[in-house]
Amino acid sequence: MSKKKLLPIWAAVSAVLIIAGIVLMAVLGFNTSLDRPEYKTFDVYYNVVVDLNEESKAALEAHCEEAFASAQVSYTDKVTLSGQSAPVSLTGTAFSETGNDFLLRYTFSAETDDAALASAKSALESAIDGDETFAMPAETYVSYAGVSLQPMNEAIWRGAVGIVVAVIVALIYVAIRFGVGSALTGLIACVNDAFLVLAILAIARIPVYAFAPMLYAAIAAVVSVAFWLIRCMKLRDSAKDPANSALSAEEAVDRACRATDKTVLIAALVMAVLLIVCTACTFTTGAMLIFAEALLCVLVPLYFSMLLAPALHGKVKGAFDRLKAKRTRYTGKKKSVKAESDN
Amino acid sequence: MGKTKSVILLIVYTLVIAVLCFICTVSFSYGPDNMQTFSSVMRMMEKDADLGLAYGANADAGAYIGGGYSAVYYPDGVISAKEYEDNLAGLRETSEEDAAEYAAQYVRYPDASGAIYLEIGKACDENGVVDASFAEDFSEAVDTIMERYSRLREDGARVEIADNYTVRVFLPAMMDSEYVAINRFSYMGEMSIRTGASEEEATDLFGIRSDETIADYVTNVTSGTTAGTSFVEFHFTEAGQAAMNTATAGAAETAVTLYFYIGDSLIMNLSVAEQMTESSIYVTGSYTAETAAVTATLFDTALDASSDSLSFTVGDAFFHEALYGGETVIMLYIAFGVLFVAMMAFFFIRYRRLGFVHLYTFLLFTFAMILCGWAIDFVYLSVESFLAFLLAGVLLCASNIVTFEAARKEYALGKTMASSVKTGYRKCFWKLFDLHIVLAVIAFLVSAIAIEALQVAAFVLGLAVVFSGIGSLLVNRFGWAVMMGTTKRQGAFCNFKREEVEDE
Repeated sequence: MSKKKLLPIWAAVSAVLIIAGIVLMAVLGFNTSLDRPEYKTFDVYYNVVVDLNEESKAALEAHCEEAFASAQVSYTDKVTLSGQSAPVSLTGTAFSETGNDFLLRYTFSAETDDAALASAKSALESAIDGDETFAMPAETYVSYAGVSLQPMNEAIWRGAVGIVVAVIVALIYVAIRFGVGSALTGLIACVNDAFLVLAILAIARIPVYAFAPMLYAAIAAVVSVAFWLIRCMKLRDSAKDPANSALSAEEAVDRACRATDKTVLIAALVMAVLLIVCTACTFTTGAMLIFAEALLCVLVPLYFSMLLAPALHGKVKGAFDRLKAKRTRYTGKKKSVKAESDN
Repeated sequence: MGKTKSVILLIVYTLVIAVLCFICTVSFSYGPDNMQTFSSVMRMMEKDADLGLAYGANADAGAYIGGGYSAVYYPDGVISAKEYEDNLAGLRETSEEDAAEYAAQYVRYPDASGAIYLEIGKACDENGVVDASFAEDFSEAVDTIMERYSRLREDGARVEIADNYTVRVFLPAMMDSEYVAINRFSYMGEMSIRTGASEEEATDLFGIRSDETIADYVTNVTSGTTAGTSFVEFHFTEAGQAAMNTATAGAAETAVTLYFYIGDSLIMNLSVAEQMTESSIYVTGSYTAETAAVTATLFDTALDASSDSLSFTVGDAFFHEALYGGETVIMLYIAFGVLFVAMMAFFFIRYRRLGFVHLYTFLLFTFAMILCGWAIDFVYLSVESFLAFLLAGVLLCASNIVTFEAARKEYALGKTMASSVKTGYRKCFWKLFDLHIVLAVIAFLVSAIAIEALQVAAFVLGLAVVFSGIGSLLVNRFGWAVMMGTTKRQGAFCNFKREEVEDE
C-alpha cells in the first residue's frame, strides 16, 4: 500500500495517541516518580560523638533491616546524610558539616502503611535499647514522616511557551526560504512530534524527572525541524530541475522524499547510536534514564518524517500549487521550461 | 597555497589546538609538596550538582561533591519530636513538675508515633485538633516560601511539606551561599522600615495606618550589580518617597539609621548621611549578586504579607549527595570518548588524511564550547547541556560529511581539487546555512523564554549550532586548504577518486 493511502491510518494513530496522551496529562500528569512527588521517610538520627563507630553504624543498619522485615515494609532508597551546624546566623555564608551528626534516611512509597512504620519504629527503638554496643541510646532518634513535594510549575509552562514561539519563528524563516506549504507541514511535524513524545511518556507512564518532558519536547521539535529541512532542501533542488517541471505536486514530493530517505535514516541512526552509547556509559548512574528516554525524541520524528510527512506534504503542496495557479492571471511558461526551449 | 606557507600555517594551527587542549583538559599539581595546582578549564567549569563533582571555579578535588543542602522550617507552635523529648528530658532532670507542665503544652502529631509536636493554643486544641487559622496561616506561609524558592530559579530546588505542618527545603550545591538563602527565606511577616536613635527605640518610618499596608509606600524591591557592586533597591510610591524625604530631612546634620525588618527580625540597617529625595534607594554592603537577589526577594515577597504571619525556625540541616551518583560526570566523559573515537574512525576510514581536517575542526568546536561553558556565567555542565552539545556535534559531523561528499562528486567529474572544494562548498553553503540558522533560532528562542535546565540546554545547543556552522563553513575550509597544500597527491590525501570514463 502506498504512503498516500496509509496517510489516514498514520494520522489516526497519531491523533488517537496524542488525544489519549493529552487527557492523561490533564488527569494524571506524567509519572514523575523519579522526583518523588509523595513519599515517606524513616529517619534514624545518630551522633558519632557518643560512641557510634563503624561497627555500631553497621549494627544500626542491621537493626533497621530487621525492623523493616518484621513490619513487612520495604524501602525504595537509603542514604546517609551528614548534618550541618544549625543555620541560625545571618552572617554565615556557607554550610559547614559538624562531622558528628548523621541521619540514616530510608525512603518508602507514599502508600506505605503508617501503622507498619510505627511498628518498625517501635521494633527499632527496642533493638537499640537492647543493644549494649549503643552506650547512650538517647543519642539516636527514630522518626518517620509523610512528605509531599510542592510543584514549581513556572519552568514547565515557560518551557512550553518557549518551544511554541521558537518553532513558529523558525517556521516563518522556513516559509520565506521554502514556501508556506513547507512551513505548514513543518509546523504539523513539530506539533505532532512534540505532543507524541509527551503522549507516549504519559500513556506508558514512563518515569521521568519533572523537568524532562519539556526537554524531550524541545529536542523532538529540533530533530523534527532538522529532518523536515532535509526534505525541503531536496524539494527546492528538484523544483529547479527542468526535468521535474512536469511532475505533479505529489509526485515531486514523493520523489524528493525517496531521494532523502537514506539521509534521514542515517541521521536518525547516528543520533540513536549516540544516545545508546550514552545510555550504556551512564548505566550505573541516575542519568541513564534521561539518555534512554531521549531516544523517543529521535524515533518519533523519524516516524513522522518517514511515514506521515511525504503523504501529507504531497497534499499540502498540491493545495498550495492549485491556489497559486488560481491567483496567477497569466500563466506563462515556467522559467525552467523557457530556459530549456531557448536552448 | 604554497607548500612552505601551508606547512607553517599547519604548525601554527596544530600548536593552537595543542595549547587549547592543554588549557582545557590538563590539570596537575606542582611546586614544593605539590602545594600549587593548575586547574584545567574543564575542571573549573561549573557543573550541575546532580552530577557529583566539585562545583565552581574554586572547587578542588576533595571539596564537596555536588549534591545539596536541606533544612526543615518549623512554624511557631510546632517542634520536632526529638526537640520535644530532649527538652522534656532536660526538665525532668531539674523538676518533674516543670516537665509535666511542659508535656501538657504539647500534643504529638499526626499520631502517637508522629515526628512532630503541636503546641496547644497555638497550633491545636487539647484534643490535638489543628486550629483552622493556624492551618490557613501555614498554607499562606508555604505559598510565600514557594514563591521565594521559585524566584531563585535554581535547577533542583525543592520545597516539600512534611507531616502537614513542617516545610522541608532543598537547594542544590550550585550557589555561593545556599546558607544565606535557606536562612533568610525562613523569615516571615510584613516588611517594615523603622527609624530611631537605636534599634529598640526605632519606630515605623511610614506611620502606616490601619487601612494601609507597606505596599502603599513601597512598590517593589529589586537587586542589581553595577561596576562590581551589588545592591538591593527599594522603590517607593509617592507617599513612600515623601515619608522617606521627611524622615531623612536632618540626615546631613545628624546621621539617620534606617532599620529594615521582616516581621520582628532585623534583616539589615542603613546609616543615612543626607536627605533622600529620590523615588528609590540603593542599599549596598557586603552583598554578592546572589545574596543581594536573595535579600531583595525576601523583602519583595514580604510586601503583601500580613503582620500576624507565622514565624519559622530553621532546624535539621543536612548535606545530600548528588542525585545521579558521584561518578556521573566521569561516565559522561567516557561516553564522549567512545563517540569521539567512533567518529574519527569513520572519518579516517572514509576520507583518509582528510579526517585530520575534521579532527581539527571538531577539536576547535569542542574547546570553544568548553571555554564558553566556563566563561558564561549561567552555563554549566549537566546531562541536558551535554546532550545538547552532542546533538550539535552530530550536526557538525553531518555538515562536514556533506561538504566532503559534495567536493568528492565534483572531483570525480574531473575538476581540480581546488575547484572541487570551491564548487562543493558553493553547492551546499545555503543548505547548511539554512539548517544551522533554523536550529539556532529555535534553540536561542527557547533559551530566552524557558528557565532553569531547559534554558541552559537550549542556550548550549544554540551556541554549539553557531560554532558548528562556523566550523563547517569557515574553519573546515581553512583547514582543508592548509592541509592540502602540504601534499601533491591531493586525491589520495582525501581518498577521492576520478570517475572512470570508458574509451569509445
